[in-house]
Amino acid sequence: MDTRSYPRTLFPGSLIVLSAVFLHAIIAMPVFPADKPGDAVRIGVLAPLSGPYAAGGTSFVQAATLAAEQANSEGGVLGRRVEVVAADTQGRVDVAKSEALRLVSREKVSALVGAYLSEETVGVMEVAASHRKVLIVPVAATAEITDRVRDEPARYRYVFRVGYSIPQWAELVVAFLSDRSVRRYAFVGAGIRWNRELGDALGRTAARAGISPAYVSYYSPGNPAFDPVAVAAAGSAPDIVVLGDPGRNSVSFLKRLREVAPGLPVFSIGGALGDARLAASLPLSGPLFVQAAAWSGASAAATEYAVRYERRYGAPPVGYSDTLPYDAVGVLAAAWRKAGSLDAAGAIAALEMGAFQGVAGTYRFDADHQARWGTGPGDLRGTVVRWERDGARIVFPPR
Amino acid sequence: MSPLPQVLLDGLVAGGAYALMAAGMSLILGVVKVVNLSHGAFFTLGAYVAYAMADRGIGGPVAVPLAAAIAFAFGVFLGKSFINPARSHPFALPVGTLACALLFEQAAQLAWGPHPLAVDGGAPWPGPFGVVVRRWGAVAFLASAAILGALRILLVCRPGLPLKLVAEDEEIASSVGIDVEAVRYLTFGGACAMAAAAGALLAPAGAITPTMGRGPLVLSLIVVIVAGMDSVGATFLLSIALGVLGNACAYYLSPQWSYVALLCSVALLLSARPTGIVAVPGRRD
Amino acid sequence: MIRPAPLSSGWATQIRGGWLAAGIGLLLLFPLSYPDAYLLDVLTTGFLLAAFAASWDVVGGIAGQVTLGHALPFGAATYACALLTRLAGWPFPLAAAAAVLLATAAGAGVGQLASPLSGPFVAVLTLALAEAAHEIAAGHAFLSGPGGYAWGGEGGIPVVLPWGDAPPIASYYAALAFLCLSTWGILRFSRSESGLVLRAVAGSPLTAQASGVPIGRFRRLAFIVGSAFAGAAGAGYAAHVGRATAGDLSLELSFQAATFAAVGGRGTVVGPVVAALALHALFQGLSLPPAARVLLYAGTLLVTLRFFPGGVAGTAREVAARLRSRDRNRGGRRRRGGEAPPGGSA
Repeated sequence: MDTRSYPRTLFPGSLIVLSAVFLHAIIAMPVFPADKPGDAVRIGVLAPLSGPYAAGGTSFVQAATLAAEQANSEGGVLGRRVEVVAADTQGRVDVAKSEALRLVSREKVSALVGAYLSEETVGVMEVAASHRKVLIVPVAATAEITDRVRDEPARYRYVFRVGYSIPQWAELVVAFLSDRSVRRYAFVGAGIRWNRELGDALGRTAARAGISPAYVSYYSPGNPAFDPVAVAAAGSAPDIVVLGDPGRNSVSFLKRLREVAPGLPVFSIGGALGDARLAASLPLSGPLFVQAAAWSGASAAATEYAVRYERRYGAPPVGYSDTLPYDAVGVLAAAWRKAGSLDAAGAIAALEMGAFQGVAGTYRFDADHQARWGTGPGDLRGTVVRWERDGARIVFPPR
Repeated sequence: MSPLPQVLLDGLVAGGAYALMAAGMSLILGVVKVVNLSHGAFFTLGAYVAYAMADRGIGGPVAVPLAAAIAFAFGVFLGKSFINPARSHPFALPVGTLACALLFEQAAQLAWGPHPLAVDGGAPWPGPFGVVVRRWGAVAFLASAAILGALRILLVCRPGLPLKLVAEDEEIASSVGIDVEAVRYLTFGGACAMAAAAGALLAPAGAITPTMGRGPLVLSLIVVIVAGMDSVGATFLLSIALGVLGNACAYYLSPQWSYVALLCSVALLLSARPTGIVAVPGRRD
Repeated sequence: MIRPAPLSSGWATQIRGGWLAAGIGLLLLFPLSYPDAYLLDVLTTGFLLAAFAASWDVVGGIAGQVTLGHALPFGAATYACALLTRLAGWPFPLAAAAAVLLATAAGAGVGQLASPLSGPFVAVLTLALAEAAHEIAAGHAFLSGPGGYAWGGEGGIPVVLPWGDAPPIASYYAALAFLCLSTWGILRFSRSESGLVLRAVAGSPLTAQASGVPIGRFRRLAFIVGSAFAGAAGAGYAAHVGRATAGDLSLELSFQAATFAAVGGRGTVVGPVVAALALHALFQGLSLPPAARVLLYAGTLLVTLRFFPGGVAGTAREVAARLRSRDRNRGGRRRRGGEAPPGGSA
């Protein structure tokens, strides 16, 4: 060992230790200093805010923020202000889990709302279960969420879903198809698991109503071949094409389909095609129907929400990735008020028993903690609109 | 009526779109010898320019050159400030250009919002045998053929001599008085302009979002490298072949498998010809 | 037997040794300062990503076969852990061992296909194979489980862990120990006879071939070793996250490993590890607003690569080598050992 070089190594070594200690001090410092407890009730909202899913995630957080402001204008929760703390899940399960941990351990949130994609939501569920925080799932549709509540209620009883489950979604779609006297439909979706499950559920539910699929296909999410799918879907001569993808690919597919079949009616299960900023440049040579949880004009609450959302964010809501998170925060605030405390057990009891007014109607939860959407009495029904050049008209449910 | 002509035509068109994207990338790879992972970002930039113009009622003939000019300026900046100085370490360049793409995606999200936008492409043209000619598709096919044809001619003609020399041997090129640095950043800028023009031309085909360039980037990267990197003709033919293969596979097998089929055929092709389709003998790495 | 020469010597080695020791000491000390569960989680993930980046460096750095499909062995291991524990009922340690074996086998397969290729062709082949695997994982539910729903698809498959919710501090130390072990193992490999031959092959395949080195066999070896370490990182990740998802096979993950290697210094092993830790801890741990996080991350990459095009460790090594040769020219200190390799960049 070359002893002469010791003085030279010691100096940089101590320098790095010092700077590392300094860095540690910076990292360990909370960036957003938490309010003093008792100041505000915090709700953690998890959604993808960067990357390919940022569109849905951004409106998700915007709507949740609006709901918190609404709750505050109604006097807050238990005399305290409601505050939304947003976290970016980046579309990844590991980030979703770790951000959920941040919200729980550092931001001291009282409950979680989210996430957006299935893979994020199942990650967040684990954190909610192990930290005993109520989690309201507004958008993610995968069957696993309610299946886990049913199979392991002791661990997952904290999880509630306000959005429609896959079988409920299929029921809502079939109700509309029956109303339009559709006999044969074509289903086109993204080749991912929940979209396939929706296609299967739709097939089963439609069969009971005497409606049969003329064509079912799922395009690859990596490099979708829209043109041949559009040709095949149009070639199967359906009464309507059901578009099962809520993302931006639904826009591309609609364009390609309208090029080969200009007049064919299209029904989108919601999402990107509910965006008014897009509708102006979409091909409306045939009818375009879009499903939404609620739409301006469906009820006084829905209209008021749409007006406030547009005034605040410059564009009307799409009725899916914003309306459901809005109602999730509203339901949570109402449950706390009803329980009279912020603790999880009280909120769970309130959510299990109560009925909650939201923009989409009255939310009630079943034994698996799934909000009741469908066609039965007391169920939430959703809304279907048809795009015209000058805006959307509500066409279902019939008045 | 048989759907076969329509499927084949759509395949040609899809291949034309890949080729349009690949054209600029192939130029950068051949002359500057950089795998440019920001190519998709420049494509997205072009699409947003087309959207912004269409929103003001201005059509493609203005949007395409404008998009190309903007991208050229950014491309020259990137070439001068990053590509040229970091060139001593070839591995820094793809990662750096990837960082540029991330930077641009986030900037586009801040500027235009994360939600999808669309440009009206107009009704398609009716063709013979009941076939529908998609308007953006015809444009993509013709433009890619024209750009790649022009590149091919440029590389054998006198004005393209500096490009060809720099591509083949930079030392000789600089010894005969060519400003190699300038050729590099101008080529880089030109290729970025081609990517943006492609984006503007293809904007009516689908939804415009900040991350729309990621998918086409992967396929055009594959096409350019497998085609032998500086062979323009092979790039065009391989693009068309992959477009037709992907579409035929989606129609006759399953759309779910079309991407996997493309990827597997590329893997097979590479195992059969380890130096690409067109192997250039004695190429210096 | 070739005696492995020390990669660098003199004060540069000792500074690096000092840095490493100080860093490890700090990381060992960190959980005792009462950090919240979130920071421990971010760092635990960071350790596993760093181990993954180091395993990339075996293939992409030491052997010079730049792979853009390194998520394939990683994801193969996470999926094997999930499928074997969830559906076959294997205990986790057994499943993890099988997962590492599977990842190694996947690496052998990819290496078999990739060994005749060079340069960007390797990148394209590995990218195509990993993308195909990702597409299949995202699109296909594997098996129908009880209760009428399938596992798999984009939501992935949960891993059954014997310890349930592990305390964050235990996960932290386990991941740190794993990172140290696997980095040590990779460093050992890189300084072994095979590692030195691989560096020679990466530097000039033609020269290596001319001197009788079976370059195909050595490249396959690099893929096998790199994939085995990636598989181990994948098994650790499956244990930490508790789930295998299609994202484990994604292009983004492969690009992330290559990015860490480029910033840290390709071929230096320690460089990618430190870069992965620093970048992940900074950009996840500081909980910046999303737009600022992405812009700062991309900006940091660009600036770092602009001024350290060989990566921080790679460029530092080049500078150290220059300084040493200046020392020698001045007839200064006597040194032992050889010249540092130029950061492994081709």
